[in-house]
Amino acid sequence: MRRVSLYGAGLVLLVGAAFPLFWMLSTALKPSGEIFATPRLVPLHPTLENFQRLFADTSFLVFFRNSVMVAGATVLLTLAVSSLGAYSLTRYRFRGRDAVAGLILLTYMFAPIMIIIPFYILVKQLGIVNTHLALVLSYTTFCLPFCLWVLRAFFQSIPLELEEAALVDGAGRGRTVWHVVLPLALPGLIAAAIFTFILAWNDFLFALVLITSEELKTLPVGVNDLFNATIVDWGMIMAAGVMITVPTVCFFAAVQRYLVQGWGSGGVKG
Amino acid sequence: MRKSALVGWLLLAPSLLLLGGLVVFPVLYNVWLSLFDKHAFMPVQAFVGLGHYRYFATDPEFWTSFYYGSVYAGVTMVLQLGVGVPAALLLNEAFRGRNLLRGFVLFPYMIPTIVAVILWKWLLNDSYGLVNHLLRQAGLVRTPVAWLGPDHIMTALIVTSVWQFFPFVVVTYLARLQTIAPELYEAATVDGASTWRRFLHVTLPQTASVLFVIVLLRSIWMFTKFDTVWLLAGEGGVSRYIRTLPVYAYSRSFTYLQAGMGAALAVIMFAMLLVATAVYFRLFRTEEVFA
Repeated sequence: MRRVSLYGAGLVLLVGAAFPLFWMLSTALKPSGEIFATPRLVPLHPTLENFQRLFADTSFLVFFRNSVMVAGATVLLTLAVSSLGAYSLTRYRFRGRDAVAGLILLTYMFAPIMIIIPFYILVKQLGIVNTHLALVLSYTTFCLPFCLWVLRAFFQSIPLELEEAALVDGAGRGRTVWHVVLPLALPGLIAAAIFTFILAWNDFLFALVLITSEELKTLPVGVNDLFNATIVDWGMIMAAGVMITVPTVCFFAAVQRYLVQGWGSGGVKG
Repeated sequence: MRKSALVGWLLLAPSLLLLGGLVVFPVLYNVWLSLFDKHAFMPVQAFVGLGHYRYFATDPEFWTSFYYGSVYAGVTMVLQLGVGVPAALLLNEAFRGRNLLRGFVLFPYMIPTIVAVILWKWLLNDSYGLVNHLLRQAGLVRTPVAWLGPDHIMTALIVTSVWQFFPFVVVTYLARLQTIAPELYEAATVDGASTWRRFLHVTLPQTASVLFVIVLLRSIWMFTKFDTVWLLAGEGGVSRYIRTLPVYAYSRSFTYLQAGMGAALAVIMFAMLLVATAVYFRLFRTEEVFA
């Protein structure tokens, strides 16, 4: 009896969470005749024509490439900056260190919408409005508090003796960090990378405000434009939805174990 | 300054530069900006002091936005807890396929907002949507419901948002559930406590502090949510039936190009959150209501 109710509740949860995504995939694979007919769970005649239309008739692939570049650059920059920062916060002693760590966490409290206006004016004055650089810098900044705190927690858990041993063996500080500290903090680095990737990949507000050229747009804004352009081509829009979701799901499925660990230690904003 | 302290600051410098330049400075600049009449693109600006704040005090658009924003944040927060906490309790039980289900439950939270929104617009479509089809099949409605029309757009927004964000509650609550000492449950069972009483007297007190944090964070994040609300209705048509303060601030700044007014709205939102958070801490933190 208990078994049955557990599995029943599990099924409800599974359907609630995942069914909408299944429906998106199913719609994306249907020919237009089936999309507007009585709904069927699985396409009768599955087809890739929606994807073909998406790639051939729209700028989707340009948006996709832009998103990959921006998210990739953001992940690299964020990991570099936050590793240095977290290493400093755990390995060097200086006055105000813990106060700085606390203040960094405080910056996490500001929602993007509350600073987007001065942010826009600042970016404009720096002359980098309508560039991918502006997006990369804003995403990096917004990921930093979380990444610094996750990495700080991981670095703290690595015994100093290991580093000292490497230093005694004649390895420099840089090599020690590269060969000893970073590999041991790998789960933290992966959690930080995923968090950063997802934030950069999903962001709508900064991309909407900071980018105006069609050829520089990233996926969320580009797809929203497609959606608003004409009479909605539901098959094609669902195909676009599938294409945006696939990288996230793959990325996530590959390293889910680490992510849940990282979440436990820091929490994710959204 | 000792050498190692200098290196410490140097390593931290890129982080501090980015956070200082792109978060702290904009926040302060925003307060300054809210005292001016400033065009979003042109350099012209004129000092108006607290003029914008006085304007909003009697601005009906502001008050409806505040009302819709509060309803949206309140209702979605309660429903996210209502769905998320039972889901976490379920995922804390041992059964086959649990880890896979834990992964699936996270999906709505990982996908971009644009996907969640177009997906629900399709499910709720009045002519071809699955939801209307099922409702009609079940005989619950005779004519299709215009979910995205003025009467139901708030419902559509709430459904979309709860679906998108309840996984946060699941993950955070589950993380705490996993650290409750099994001895506590064993002791309660020996004392003859039923499942419900075990939940009430062991689980709830143990998780009170994490619930405190979840309620606080989710309320703040839903109150400042921009993309889900904006993407669901844009700026024309039915958007005024769900326009929240973040959307109003965006419109003021980037549609009417009144950057000073938008900045004032941001300051007001921040002040509201500050006051609400202080009240929340006073009410719940000191008394430990669940303990």
